[in-house]
Amino acid sequence: MAQRRQLAARLDRDGTVATLMLAPAAVLFGLFFLWPFFRGLWLSLTRWDGFSAPVFVGAANYLKLAQDRLFLGALENNLIFVVLILIFKNALGLGLAILLDRAVFLRGPIRAAVFIPVTLSFAATGLLWSWIYNPVFGLLNAALDLVGLSALKLSWLGDADVALYSIVAVDIWKWLGFHAVIYLAGLQTIPHELYEAARIDGAGPLHRFRHITLPLMMPVVLINVILGLSGAFVRNFDIVQVLTQGGPNHATEVVMTLMVKTAFQDGNMGYASAMGYALFLIVGLACIGLLALMRRAKVAL
Amino acid sequence: MSRTQPLSLTAPAHQAYAHRPWWRQTIAGRSMKELALVYGLLALVLIETLYPLVWVLFGSLKTKEEVIANVWGPPSSFVWQNYAEAWRVSGMGARVVNSLVITGSALALLILAATPAAYALSRLVFRGRGLLLGLVVSAMLVPPQVMAIPLFMTARDLGLVNSRIGVALIHAAANLPLSIFILRSFFLSLPMELEDAARIDGASRLQILIKVMLPLIRPGLALVAIFGFIEIWNDFFLAFLMLRDPALQTIPLGLVAFFQQYGAMWNLYFAALAITTLPVILIFILMQRHFIAGLTAGAVKA
Repeated sequence: MAQRRQLAARLDRDGTVATLMLAPAAVLFGLFFLWPFFRGLWLSLTRWDGFSAPVFVGAANYLKLAQDRLFLGALENNLIFVVLILIFKNALGLGLAILLDRAVFLRGPIRAAVFIPVTLSFAATGLLWSWIYNPVFGLLNAALDLVGLSALKLSWLGDADVALYSIVAVDIWKWLGFHAVIYLAGLQTIPHELYEAARIDGAGPLHRFRHITLPLMMPVVLINVILGLSGAFVRNFDIVQVLTQGGPNHATEVVMTLMVKTAFQDGNMGYASAMGYALFLIVGLACIGLLALMRRAKVAL
Repeated sequence: MSRTQPLSLTAPAHQAYAHRPWWRQTIAGRSMKELALVYGLLALVLIETLYPLVWVLFGSLKTKEEVIANVWGPPSSFVWQNYAEAWRVSGMGARVVNSLVITGSALALLILAATPAAYALSRLVFRGRGLLLGLVVSAMLVPPQVMAIPLFMTARDLGLVNSRIGVALIHAAANLPLSIFILRSFFLSLPMELEDAARIDGASRLQILIKVMLPLIRPGLALVAIFGFIEIWNDFFLAFLMLRDPALQTIPLGLVAFFQQYGAMWNLYFAALAITTLPVILIFILMQRHFIAGLTAGAVKA
């Protein structure tokens, strides 16, 4: 008995100090993370206008989501957003990193310059690009005029068929430098002798990329994709809100903007909560699926 | 950067083959043809990245009419009063104060809460440690945006809507899991002996944390502060939900409101954007070495 108590005491040697040191974080985390998380889970099972007493409705909100054309449309836009962003940010980021790796002079300053958009806020980036896309004095249409492609001039944010892709392009512009910098750091860990040896064996540039660069960069690709993935799902409220507010006619609606509208314009807090958690579930499944896929691809390489 | 180019095979080439045409010559082991291609493409990337920002600078110094008449080029004369007027009309002074108050208090709360927690989770022995650690890691997988609605409700119940400190508290909580995780890895990298020596000298745990450990994990604190700063200073979403009172709005909200409130004051919009983004860009350029080093160390080692 006494031995047992001794053991327990040793396992909990710093119990008091630890409690004190963890207390501030626990209060902050409990009040503004754990509590809202579980409260929201419960709210998503209710019908609630935010003021009167919530009415428990079970899974009804989630079942309604599966048939809600607005929600499914927003989800589809979200998926297009995610897929395009992951492909372009990684392909262009790796391409830019390879260029930077080959640059003999001014590599540091160029790397810093391409990183500048990463430091801008989404609000500033969004406003800047809403002006670039502006039909009257916008830079983009003026550029098309300059190179003689006036036929391609469009209402970049007003045309329902193009607006989503215009927003995707802005997000890629903002984050390109971030991914390039991480890829560059990865490239610089590849020993140069590998390339020399391959060159002596007669391997061309494409061959060297396919058989040296790509396999050795796979872990960095994985980090970049994971970094981009959850962000691409949930971090698009700012940019969509500033550029189009989800319009024209919901053509650029994503789940986050629809959630905020459902909560604060329609006063449907329970349903809006369900949207958030449905998206969370989808992001989680996408991450798990991607990790499994990458693991298998890594084994194959 | 750290990789040195192998000089043995190719370096003397540009002397030995000086009679070759320029594109066959080499510099630092690269053929001129390759370098021309690399720098040509890099120039395109630089134009695509930087010209929009230069365009804002140009626009901020034009008259309202010239913004539309002369889309491309530099301003024909510099209208410096655009800046004073944009600052006055948009009420940016109050917004800058709000952003400073929110970001400053959120970072202070974050570091005050995360540092002792990370220390306890890496060095102290107590029951429930594994469970708490698991909680921190799983919380990192939950993007706080998905629980925006219940967060808003919680803030409303606590009387924290339209409160700068309320926004700061939520930001601190949202950044807590990742910050604890980063700081913990810094604490774990320090040798145990340091601490044992201090304990033999009779120092308490809190004294050890403040006097011995804190100076050693300064790079970790800097990393947490830099990431937190970018996240919180640039945030639009949370401020959009929580700060309905125009007097409390932050810079990103103020910029968008200024743009939506007044019609077609293009030169002033450009000036307002320039005023608010240039300081951040300048700070980044001054600190970019530390910044990029911290970023890549985290990502490539992981």
